[in-house]
Amino acid sequence: MVYGSLGRDEFTPGSDLDWTLLVDGIADPAHLDVALAIRDKLETLGYKQPGREGVFGTLAFSHELIHQIGGQDDTNANTTRRILLLLESTVIGRRDAYKRVVCNVLHRYLKEDRGLWYGSGEFKVPRFLLNDITRYWRTMAVDFAYKQRVRGNEGFALRNVKLRLSRKLIFISGLLTCFSCHLELPGDEKKLIYLEHAVQPLVVHLYRRLAFTPLESLANTLLGFEKLDGSTAKLFKAYDDFVGILADESVLDNGETPRDYLEHLSVDKLESDPVFQHAREISHEFRDAVHEIFLRSNTELSRLTIEYGVF
Amino acid sequence: MRPIGFSTGAVAYSDFQRALELMAVEPVNCIELSALRFHEVAPLLNAIETLDLHRYGYVSFHAPSSFTVEQEPFLVEQLKRVPQHWPIVLHPDTIHNWEAWRQFGSQLAVENMDRRKPWGRTVEELARTFSDLPDAAMCFDIGHARQCDTSMTEAYRILKAFQHRLKQIHVSEVNTASQHDPISYAAKIAFQEVACLIPSNIPVIIESRVTPQEINREICRISQALPEFDFVPAITNAREAMHNSPSTRHQN
Repeated sequence: MVYGSLGRDEFTPGSDLDWTLLVDGIADPAHLDVALAIRDKLETLGYKQPGREGVFGTLAFSHELIHQIGGQDDTNANTTRRILLLLESTVIGRRDAYKRVVCNVLHRYLKEDRGLWYGSGEFKVPRFLLNDITRYWRTMAVDFAYKQRVRGNEGFALRNVKLRLSRKLIFISGLLTCFSCHLELPGDEKKLIYLEHAVQPLVVHLYRRLAFTPLESLANTLLGFEKLDGSTAKLFKAYDDFVGILADESVLDNGETPRDYLEHLSVDKLESDPVFQHAREISHEFRDAVHEIFLRSNTELSRLTIEYGVF
Repeated sequence: MRPIGFSTGAVAYSDFQRALELMAVEPVNCIELSALRFHEVAPLLNAIETLDLHRYGYVSFHAPSSFTVEQEPFLVEQLKRVPQHWPIVLHPDTIHNWEAWRQFGSQLAVENMDRRKPWGRTVEELARTFSDLPDAAMCFDIGHARQCDTSMTEAYRILKAFQHRLKQIHVSEVNTASQHDPISYAAKIAFQEVACLIPSNIPVIIESRVTPQEINREICRISQALPEFDFVPAITNAREAMHNSPSTRHQN
């Protein structure tokens, strides 16, 4: 299965190919051989290998993804694999194991969410799942600072822009996926689900919702809010401009593509660098549109965001 | 209590007479006469009139799980001897000539398959089967469904989509080698999650391979796994939901 820009359907020249061999079944020593063969093959084909943290480009086991949610054993890598499995992964080859694992992860989040089944609140939002997605978003932000320190600012500019746009987009799509349990299920269906404490219909709903790429997820929700069309257009324009920078294969004066230029840009030059400043302006447009939609629109979306996304 | 009984093959391998003897002292009111191997069909059909089945309010006949294209016409002819009020349980992956089986109409009960099989495991695969056999009923194998998806999401989807075709249930724990074992505690709690979707009048046929001493204990375990609930009708949107996936990601 693949994650990252390929999973989000935003793959551009120069993107990493973040992959994982997902194992759900009887342990087999040969699984590692398969993973190594995948790595060799992708290298031979000239794909850029996954990041240096070692989260991707190896084996992942369903037991850890399903059982280790929270607690000491839920490592940074495990949380990353689990949340991105839900929010930006896609499968290559047979999908039965993938589907089984996604459904079981969702089943845990939902079944163990007592507030969802017994809570008396106005909204029906799976808080256990939402909290884990929010935790992951904050972890990405903290790890941004961590990488800045351990890598001596190397790659800061590109990581900064990605955090403000693609990483934030993942969080937004996760937020909307959780809100969809309240916003998108018909009233009679919702009533039956919560009356019967029926986990599986909600798993079916969320599985379907997670089939959207993050951009599709956002578009799908915002199409239902006509009064937000202006801000929605602003948001998508900004994101399109961002992907445009990453996809731009033209060469700058120093001989690099804009992507490579940002990757190698020194932090000392950020404030005066036109390429970074342009990317930063795009991120500000994106941020402003997000704020208009999610915080200041006085819609059910902004009410849900304040209720669940802030406190 | 739900109508409950055993498959003869589960309690006495390839020996329906012995299975019926064992069942005679057990609290069961259903039976499935199993001819899972092709060569078992004729002897079982020949014996039907001599079998004492008066205590069973429900009897079904399990067709072989494998036969060749050459054997198929003969098998179809043989199965016409099965009393018409007995459902004939059939694995969809065994069918070579769909037209030949269509004549059985609603007597045919198509079973959902285990992970080994290339066909008949999911709602989408079963929907294609039922489009070829539009009048067929369904035998829902809850153990197979759990083996394919332990979250019971696929089981839920199958029950919702084909509730109106439901004729009987197969119950057992289907292990990683696709053998039918007595149900575990984990299987019991998984089955309980969808039990409310199975109407209480639908016969439950146990396929767990058990010794004579274990028969009664397995009946108790399965009665707990499939308790009677108020029947829950279909939630239409959710049934359609997974099928109408909007992009190529997470497809079934």
